[in-house]
Amino acid sequence: MIISEKPDAANRIAAALDDNGKTMRETDNGVPFFAAKNGDKEIIVASALGHLYTVAGVNKGEWDYPVFGYQWLPRWMVEKSASKIRIWLKVLSKLAESAEDFVDACDYDVEGSIIGYSILKYACRGREKLAKRMKYSTLTREELRDSFSNLLPHLDFELVESGLARHEVDWLYGINLSRALTLAVRNSSGMYATLSTGRVQGPTLKYLEIREKNIRVFVPTPFWSITAKISIDDHMFDLEYEKKTIETKAEAGGIIAACKGKDGKVVKIDVKEFHQNPPVPFDLGTLQSEAYKFFKHTPIQTSKIAQHLYVNTLISYPRTSSQKLPPVIGYNAILKKLSQSMLYQKVAQKLLAQATLKPNEGSKFDPAHPAIYPTGNLPEKVLDTSEKNIYDLIVRRFFAVFGEPAIKQSIKVSVDINQYLFFMTGYRTLKECWMEYYKPYVYSKDISLPLLFEGQRVAIEKVLLRNSFTKPPVRYNPRSLLKKMEREEIGTKATRAMTIQTLYARKYLEGEQNMTITDLGFEVAEVLRNYCPSVVSSEMTRRLEEKMEQIQLKHETKQNVLVDAVETLKKVTLTLKHNQSEIGAQLGQKIKQAHHDKQTIGNCPKCQTGKLITIRSKKTSKRFVGCTNFFEGTCITSFPLPQTGSIKPLAAPCKACSYPVIKVLINQKQPWNLCLNANCPSKVQKK
Amino acid sequence: MSCKICSRPIKEKGYCSLHLKAYQNIYEKFGVWEKALEVSWMDYLVKISKNSLTGEWAKEVVEHLIEDESRNVKEK
Ligand SMILES: [Zn+2]
Repeated sequence: MIISEKPDAANRIAAALDDNGKTMRETDNGVPFFAAKNGDKEIIVASALGHLYTVAGVNKGEWDYPVFGYQWLPRWMVEKSASKIRIWLKVLSKLAESAEDFVDACDYDVEGSIIGYSILKYACRGREKLAKRMKYSTLTREELRDSFSNLLPHLDFELVESGLARHEVDWLYGINLSRALTLAVRNSSGMYATLSTGRVQGPTLKYLEIREKNIRVFVPTPFWSITAKISIDDHMFDLEYEKKTIETKAEAGGIIAACKGKDGKVVKIDVKEFHQNPPVPFDLGTLQSEAYKFFKHTPIQTSKIAQHLYVNTLISYPRTSSQKLPPVIGYNAILKKLSQSMLYQKVAQKLLAQATLKPNEGSKFDPAHPAIYPTGNLPEKVLDTSEKNIYDLIVRRFFAVFGEPAIKQSIKVSVDINQYLFFMTGYRTLKECWMEYYKPYVYSKDISLPLLFEGQRVAIEKVLLRNSFTKPPVRYNPRSLLKKMEREEIGTKATRAMTIQTLYARKYLEGEQNMTITDLGFEVAEVLRNYCPSVVSSEMTRRLEEKMEQIQLKHETKQNVLVDAVETLKKVTLTLKHNQSEIGAQLGQKIKQAHHDKQTIGNCPKCQTGKLITIRSKKTSKRFVGCTNFFEGTCITSFPLPQTGSIKPLAAPCKACSYPVIKVLINQKQPWNLCLNANCPSKVQKK
Repeated sequence: MSCKICSRPIKEKGYCSLHLKAYQNIYEKFGVWEKALEVSWMDYLVKISKNSLTGEWAKEVVEHLIEDESRNVKEK
């Protein structure tokens, strides 16, 4: 009996191991499994459905904190939505009864190892110590057969321990902190609102909070820059003054005055050649980052698409942090297969003609998998646009890493205008090399310059002064936030994107490309920072991550890590309990306010007694403003609203007509104020 | 006692910790503006209150300071 992670992978494995390449799909109570014949072996490939077991509290009755007692239970016993798993586990147990040997073929990483381990332990009645392990990075027939004939003698218990520790620690943090916040609000204001936070969520929220604070308290300062325009052969070129930012208007004015009407003289032409190395192979983070850059896919979307391509044997296992491509993957064979495609033929053949193939590897390493690479298999079915995009990106990246460094040239021209020095810089790509292979995901930013010689006099057409202001920090987008988490080493490649998703689900975060922390998110971050700084500290979170990694290397034990976590949480929960009423008041007020802000726009200008609230029409699902007295049947006042963006009522009414005014916030646009009155005198004037 | 602008508790100078940070920023940056443009305190406040890059909380404090300032002028 072979256990894989998901049904589609089970099907692939069965087909690959069967000597005739055929599988028998069978079902029991709707649960699929696959039969195959391999030599004299009768094989059943069954599968999990992701995690079938989860951490849950021992004591169900009391809803309080701190809680430290937990156990691993089938998910159907804990989550209402997981009822399907009950039958699933029954079928697995039944299949296990008639099996002689067990093989764990779940994904070879922390999550996959826990999935296989818990099924073998709980559903197959203690077979985890006897089972063998299949290790592979692609679902291609060749690799699966090879992996099956070279089974690892046992499960990777260190990986399993480390994974169990992570789940247990995360459960302890999540349940204790979330209950502390929720109960603080409930006990102090009687309000019921589910608030949550967690071990990785806390620090992530803090990054967003710090960024938002810096934006909101930002005060811009002025600076000036100077550009001189020269005309050569009817073409205009810009020369930048050597000081990019000039701090005072007086200084800038002085330079302008001195340069006006003067000629320039080319004093130096500096030509430099430099190399630009090819990119490194894709680990999941880099793939997500590039996919966001070119297709605006969120990290989770990219992860899902890549998983799909993997199951269809088009690419290797995507949840990897490796930037290495070892020779065993067979560069030549992959390129040969890819050269069968019209799309990739030219580049693949060019690479095959190279004397040697050596990838430009990055520094990151993953003990379980190589970097993401195409298997060489071409799509059997038509891929949809986003799948096609990600596949193409992965193939071309694979090509690019084998390319020679590109050779580029920079040309810096220095021009003296009345003793003030100005520059212009041009770039030229002399040899594209790898850049040719990675197109269209790279383009040479060439800037051409006119032909000049040292000592040449040039006519200055204009000298321009530009006044600018320093800019506030930019808000995070899915790509930059993920990168920040990676840099701070919090969470894992498999969980980071989910953590961000949870922040949205809790309404701590809004805006897709321009991530903005909500008032509630802000308050939660403040509470955590004030009352349990250790929970949101990157330093502490990273240290814990390191310890869990150390379990894999046998330098640390699961027991130690858990004892530490419980000790920390004991202290933290004590402080939280002690300050429960302040915390509850602070959070409760924001929850109330958030609810209120969303609803009430102001007083009804017609009936004077009702309140104007935002309503969503059940028929058209469009939003508008209506009077609360409508429900009493006494007022029918209503106003249309813009259908996109968020709306904030302003305290001051319109100066022209004293109707309520709202502020409309649409992503990446300047917010604007809108008077609800369509016939407001201020609007009539504009018309 | 709560902040002159919002309902948070006062940290210093009548402002909560968040508005205080904005207030300190406004004071700090005046030096840069004064040197750059030779502006008066009041001109500076008006300029940053109209600048779209000024942060939300900084704007709230600026508006408050402008009110204070004009009240002072009237009283004189
Ligand atoms: Zn305040």
